[in-house]
Amino acid sequence: MWNYTGIAKRTREYHEAIILSKIVEISPTTRHEGHSKLVLKVDDAGIVERGDWLSITPVRGVEKLAIGKTMDQVPKIASRVCGICPIAHTLAGIESMEGSIRCEIPKDAKLLRIILQCANRLHSIALHNILILPDFYLPGTDTKINPFSPQEPVRSVAKRIQRLREIGQTIGQIAGGEAVHPSNPRVGGMYKACTQQAKTKMYDLAKEGLVLAHEQMDLMLAIINNMKKRDWVEVGGKQIPLPKTLGYHNQGYMAAHPVYASSNLDECPGWDPKRWTDVRPWDWYMGEGEVSLADPSYPIGGTSPVGTKVNPQMEACTGVPLYDGAPVEVGPRARLVTFKNFDEKGTWGQHIARQLEYTDSLYAMINALDEYNPNGKVLADHIPQGDGSLGWAANEAPRGCDVHLAKVKDGRVLYYEMLVPTTWNFPTCSRALTGAPWQVAEMVVRGYDPCVSCATHMIVVDEDKRIVAQKLIQ
Amino acid sequence: MLYPEIVIAGCGNPLFADDGFGPAVVEALSHITLPDNVKAEDAGLGGPHFIFTLLDPEKTRKLIIVDIADFGGEPGELRTFRVEDLPPGSYRDAHSWDLTEPLHRLKDSIDITIIGCQPKRVSAPEFEIGLTDEIQQAIPRAVREVLALIGVDYGTTLENLRNEERQFGTEGKACGEI
Repeated sequence: MWNYTGIAKRTREYHEAIILSKIVEISPTTRHEGHSKLVLKVDDAGIVERGDWLSITPVRGVEKLAIGKTMDQVPKIASRVCGICPIAHTLAGIESMEGSIRCEIPKDAKLLRIILQCANRLHSIALHNILILPDFYLPGTDTKINPFSPQEPVRSVAKRIQRLREIGQTIGQIAGGEAVHPSNPRVGGMYKACTQQAKTKMYDLAKEGLVLAHEQMDLMLAIINNMKKRDWVEVGGKQIPLPKTLGYHNQGYMAAHPVYASSNLDECPGWDPKRWTDVRPWDWYMGEGEVSLADPSYPIGGTSPVGTKVNPQMEACTGVPLYDGAPVEVGPRARLVTFKNFDEKGTWGQHIARQLEYTDSLYAMINALDEYNPNGKVLADHIPQGDGSLGWAANEAPRGCDVHLAKVKDGRVLYYEMLVPTTWNFPTCSRALTGAPWQVAEMVVRGYDPCVSCATHMIVVDEDKRIVAQKLIQ
Repeated sequence: MLYPEIVIAGCGNPLFADDGFGPAVVEALSHITLPDNVKAEDAGLGGPHFIFTLLDPEKTRKLIIVDIADFGGEPGELRTFRVEDLPPGSYRDAHSWDLTEPLHRLKDSIDITIIGCQPKRVSAPEFEIGLTDEIQQAIPRAVREVLALIGVDYGTTLENLRNEERQFGTEGKACGEI
């Protein structure tokens, strides 16, 4: 028998929820790369009931541009889609080509790539420290940290962070050939080996970095653990309660390798293209709405004014990739959960995991340097030109698993796809916003160390892996 | 030492047509032997992130940025700017870490010059590879300008060419070029 009373009650509750919910928009979000925004449906108390975090960087379509180019050109193109992650995109691009043409590279070339990868990660963690420190308090005080303060103890910390960045960039420059866009990696290995002298220099820098990284990691862990104990945080002159479950979500994790990468050439691949599907942003994000709550005192210009039209479904510039049919988190915590039984959840867990990777990246680099033979071969004897088979590489970039897929035939690229870390994290982070006061939503976003400008891929593949839509945002 | 006394940063994205001017000038400079205290870097989109926030004013004295700039000139026209001439938002750190211009932090301790080229076509957000002819032709002039700014004279600086032009009559004839 139908329970009309129950249905009527639920319908009324649903309508009340819609009427009572207010919409806040934070646009653009700050202290990360690229342009993104937050559209938050909040209750009377300002707690997020549903959050949508989306990229508003227009689609660029690197996948289309790659078709017909040579397998050497495409990784160089991929490295240009982002100002922050050229190393990860170069390595993932090259290794997806090698995966397609089935080319195994010499051991010493692989070691140089690992050194480059770890140097990049070291720099990235240090930079992220500067980005997040303004959200945190000096332990035992109610004073927020300004990383640009000329006063001690912050000044010494800032100098240490700068030195760690320099060390990462210098090692990356030696192993990768250039400081920004690495020129040394190539399909089949590396162009040049590093000399014994270069190896010694990298070793000296890594040892210096290890001491600094231990100090910096300890400090950051103290600062994060202090934050975990706080009940409130100051945002825009107001005290905002901090939930103990900040940033918690029930989605899964995805990591292909604890440090470096996996590809289809591995004996036990760490990623599986069959488990990946896409949905369209308009199936995932909220529909049309209007901002009904605004706060001009919110940092850096206030939130969007009341009456602003929002339409995340149409504004989102990325598809929504799923692994096993659900969104997943990628990044330092995903690596540690997958490979090291790490169990800290939420935003603080993410920050802690990232700090733990400080020393991990240096130990991995030192181990690779120990093994590296400057007289060894760095280029494969034979570089096949490909028969159109699918290859993929899942590079564990600083901010998460960066998957590139390619098909190469006769040296030319037939198909290319980039599934970059922040694209994986958008839907997961959106769910992690629920339950937090809207004023701290950006803190949750920064936990993912987002890099938005390249988080753009729009070719949408359905369950049967057919291309079902390719939408260009005007 | 990551960056030496003089740094030349070619900024821009070669995937957006003429926006690739800066990296193209650095590529041209890579064929010239530069002094040991000079480093020319293809900064791509990472200039603020990987270079400007990592310069040590105790080591680096001069920064030359090569980029496109819309100053209403003819396509391919070059102009030099100082940091004060730039509109707000230029070279903001890609991570927008404190919404402060990194160049403004540096300008009192490092001599900064920006060589701007008026673009003809910037395709963003669509990808398009390749410079237009006018911008391509500006590359040698930009190289000469850079060499003049860093005081390197291989006989190709603008000043040198002007001097040669003044003496053109005698030297030209000597070479049999009328």
